[in-house]
Amino acid sequence: MSIWTDIVHRVRGRLSRESNANLTDELRFHLEMETRQLEATGLSRADAENEARRRFGGVDRYTEELRDERGGRFFEHLRLDARYALRLARRFPAFTAIVVLTLGISIGANTAIFSVVDAVLLRPLPFPRGQDLVLLYAQNPDKSLPRFSVSYADYVDWRKETHSFTDIAAYTTSSLTFTDHEDVQRLAGLSVTPNFFDVLLARPQLGRLYHDRDPASETDNEIVLTYGFWQRALAADPSIVGRPIKIGGSSRTVIGVLPADFNLDGNPVDALTVLVPAAIPNVESHGQHILNAVGRLRPGTSLESAQADLLGVATRVAAADPGIAGWTANVFHLGDELVRGLASPLYILLAAAGLVLLIGCINVANLLLTRSAIREREVALRQALGAARSRLVGQLMVESAELAIAGTLLGLLIGKLTLRAILAFAPTGLLPASIGIDTRVLAFAAALIVFATVAVGLWPALSATRSRLTASLHDGGRASTGGLGTLRARRTLVVAETSLALVLLICAGLVIQSLGHMLRVDPGFRTDRVVSMRVSLNGSRYNDTTQIQFFRDLQSRLEARAGIEAVAAANTPPIASGGIVTNIRLVGVPQRAGEKLMGAATAITPGFFRTLSMRIVQGRDVEWNDTHPSLLVSEAAAREYWPDQSAIGKRIAFGPRDTLGLEVVGVVADSRSRGLTTAAPAMIYMAYSGATRLGRTMTLVIRGRGDAGAVLATTKAVVHEIDPTLALFNVRTVDAIVQQSIGQPRLNTMLLSFFAIIAMTLATIGIYGVVSYSVAQRTQEIGVRMALGAAQRDVMNLILREGGALAMIGVVVGVGGALVATRFIQSWLFGIERMDLPTIVVTAVALIVVAVAASYLPARRASQVDPLVAMRAD
Amino acid sequence: MHPNADVLQGTLDLLILKSVSIDSMHGWGISQRIQQISSGVLEVNQGSLYPALHRLVKRGWLQAAWGTSENNRRARFYRLTTLGKKQLADETATWRRFSAAVEAILATS
Repeated sequence: MSIWTDIVHRVRGRLSRESNANLTDELRFHLEMETRQLEATGLSRADAENEARRRFGGVDRYTEELRDERGGRFFEHLRLDARYALRLARRFPAFTAIVVLTLGISIGANTAIFSVVDAVLLRPLPFPRGQDLVLLYAQNPDKSLPRFSVSYADYVDWRKETHSFTDIAAYTTSSLTFTDHEDVQRLAGLSVTPNFFDVLLARPQLGRLYHDRDPASETDNEIVLTYGFWQRALAADPSIVGRPIKIGGSSRTVIGVLPADFNLDGNPVDALTVLVPAAIPNVESHGQHILNAVGRLRPGTSLESAQADLLGVATRVAAADPGIAGWTANVFHLGDELVRGLASPLYILLAAAGLVLLIGCINVANLLLTRSAIREREVALRQALGAARSRLVGQLMVESAELAIAGTLLGLLIGKLTLRAILAFAPTGLLPASIGIDTRVLAFAAALIVFATVAVGLWPALSATRSRLTASLHDGGRASTGGLGTLRARRTLVVAETSLALVLLICAGLVIQSLGHMLRVDPGFRTDRVVSMRVSLNGSRYNDTTQIQFFRDLQSRLEARAGIEAVAAANTPPIASGGIVTNIRLVGVPQRAGEKLMGAATAITPGFFRTLSMRIVQGRDVEWNDTHPSLLVSEAAAREYWPDQSAIGKRIAFGPRDTLGLEVVGVVADSRSRGLTTAAPAMIYMAYSGATRLGRTMTLVIRGRGDAGAVLATTKAVVHEIDPTLALFNVRTVDAIVQQSIGQPRLNTMLLSFFAIIAMTLATIGIYGVVSYSVAQRTQEIGVRMALGAAQRDVMNLILREGGALAMIGVVVGVGGALVATRFIQSWLFGIERMDLPTIVVTAVALIVVAVAASYLPARRASQVDPLVAMRAD
Repeated sequence: MHPNADVLQGTLDLLILKSVSIDSMHGWGISQRIQQISSGVLEVNQGSLYPALHRLVKRGWLQAAWGTSENNRRARFYRLTTLGKKQLADETATWRRFSAAVEAILATS
């Protein structure tokens, strides 16, 4: 309040300090003249002064009135209204607390979700003119592969022949090993074409970056570091530029450090090296899909015309090479690609939060309406005394604004806590860690204040001042006559919020059950007590033979250790990858010309199925001693490739030159290797030794008896025994991988349920409020009923029925709303129908029960009305 | 508040305009002049006088300036503007018509 006084004084002072003084001077002159005249009639000086003052009636009052005449009273009124509103707030603490809490919770939920939306969807890319950046993919519509990696040959052709891009750069992830004294660390590397930074328009924090000059030769032993790695591993050494660091057995010169905000696709990067095309096997082949491509659109070029341009080039390239028939290309905005899969859930959650805010505002409007009904007499009296309507509406608006500001401040606090909870529950990597309540979110909250003030304040303000003067005054001691109309309005509001709450409850009920179904899915392999980690066999000592030997050694040595039960390796993680999609040919099965069969394959070492407890339903596992490399297929693959025949003994060939192929020695039970919610795919498990090119980075799966830490320690020791230069990374339990794969549904479910609970609570408060109000209105009627012989039970039923009826109408409207709303969460549902009848019935019944429960207190109050008192109360 | 505030207010404007039509005058002088000429029948409520003066200034009928009073005090003097002269003529005519009409009605019985 002192702030207000201060502001008012300052503003008023600046406006009219001089004229204020003049005003007082003028009136003082008048008084003095009056005094003199009175003195002349014989009064003493003191008496004359007193009489003059009496006749005038106080200088202050007229100064005030004169100021009114000249405007400038706005701030004065604001100050008075604000002070009055604060006094009112203190007089009705319960009312104030409920209103502020309601606004706080609903604004908090919105602020939290908006912070996420802002950070994920609205923030620009950390590159100049980021809206022109695009990702280019190979695509194969026939095999529904819209986003596939690009071959170097594609990249060269696209770059040369398209004209929609200022330039295109290619990059691929790489695994680097950084040796710092004795410590070996695995780095997340990015191998980029020399024009990479030119395309992004990235600038260095220190030193310089690669540029598109003479590629390869001179940059081959240079390295660019990211800010994070420079901070973490090199202690932010400012003199690092120009110095060598040890990478993978040789040394590379650091030429520059990237700024802290460098972030291409959200994946962590430590260091960037130049891509050497000569190091890519089969580099001229268009089928060698291993790169990612990022381009920059020419200014003014639309994505559609760029797509058409690229498609034309890709079609020409494919026409010239039968090996890549069916392959074309696709281009998307980088910004859209980064949030793919995240945008629609976020907008849905934002909408849910918006519903909560709407319910909150309805509730507060309802409460204000109650109070304005109580204050109708006060308002009517003031109108009778000549207060202008605009002045009264203004005052009521100031009261609302004060509540809205308090609610928003509380909302920011609640929002901060909610945001912290969201970040804690979100699976790692899903959301950027830098999300916070920033100035844009504050602006959003301020917009909410305005919305809340107008929505919540305007109606009661108008309704209160519209009241017919005489009616309210004649009403004597009774609360109000605007009663019936207001009650109807309030019932409408309660029905509206009940139905909105039901919509949220039904959606929450559906996603909760979906999550339950996901958790009960049998993945087809065991997840407990299995640890997975990656290892990279880098360095000159490894070739095909020594690599196989390494895994064989590791298995026999590790399985001999205490606490370890089974060990194997695969080139893809056991879940969420689903193998590598590649061209296959079924030997002996005639194939239509031009048709190409694709299969998902993963390379495994013997013992893989034993480690993950996957059942071999037919045949046997691959073995170290197999003279010829062999493979197993999943049941789904066996059915798809050789329907009605046994798969055992059949052969699958990889690549065009392979005529013999690998023999199927076993069939494995299906497993959900692409994620819990995706049907088990057809999988080919080939012996590691049979792969055309043996992967150097493999995933180890280890089943142990102890916890993950103990398993890791044992594994580390054994790996160190075999080769001390190797580093283990990405250590995680398979359980954690499975949990991570449903992390987003879990977060969605948590937030939606949270909103639904808030909505239901608010609706309950609303029903309680309106029923209490109606009981207060009907006290006299109830008294008459009881005097005429109605039992307490009858009166209670009467009131409970009112609450129940309101909820019932809300339920009917809400189910209608849910018909529409559930369409938006269709993609979140798993194993349950969009209009699942049991869910609807259970939530509807729950809502009605809660509504009747909320009416219980007012109903009891009504039943204890003393008929004599009630009828006299007028 | 004065019970006949409304009636008085409309008349007050006319009386003020008339008072300052000959010479510029300060607020107290105006109230004295009205009282004297009406032989004490019309007493100007000071609470209405100053708001009225400011209102007339704002409408451009009066012009205010600081000057020195007859007893050498700083006082605010009000003077009729051209617009004010026209207004005075209009209001005088309206008043005459009004009072003549009332007079005529009163004379009938």
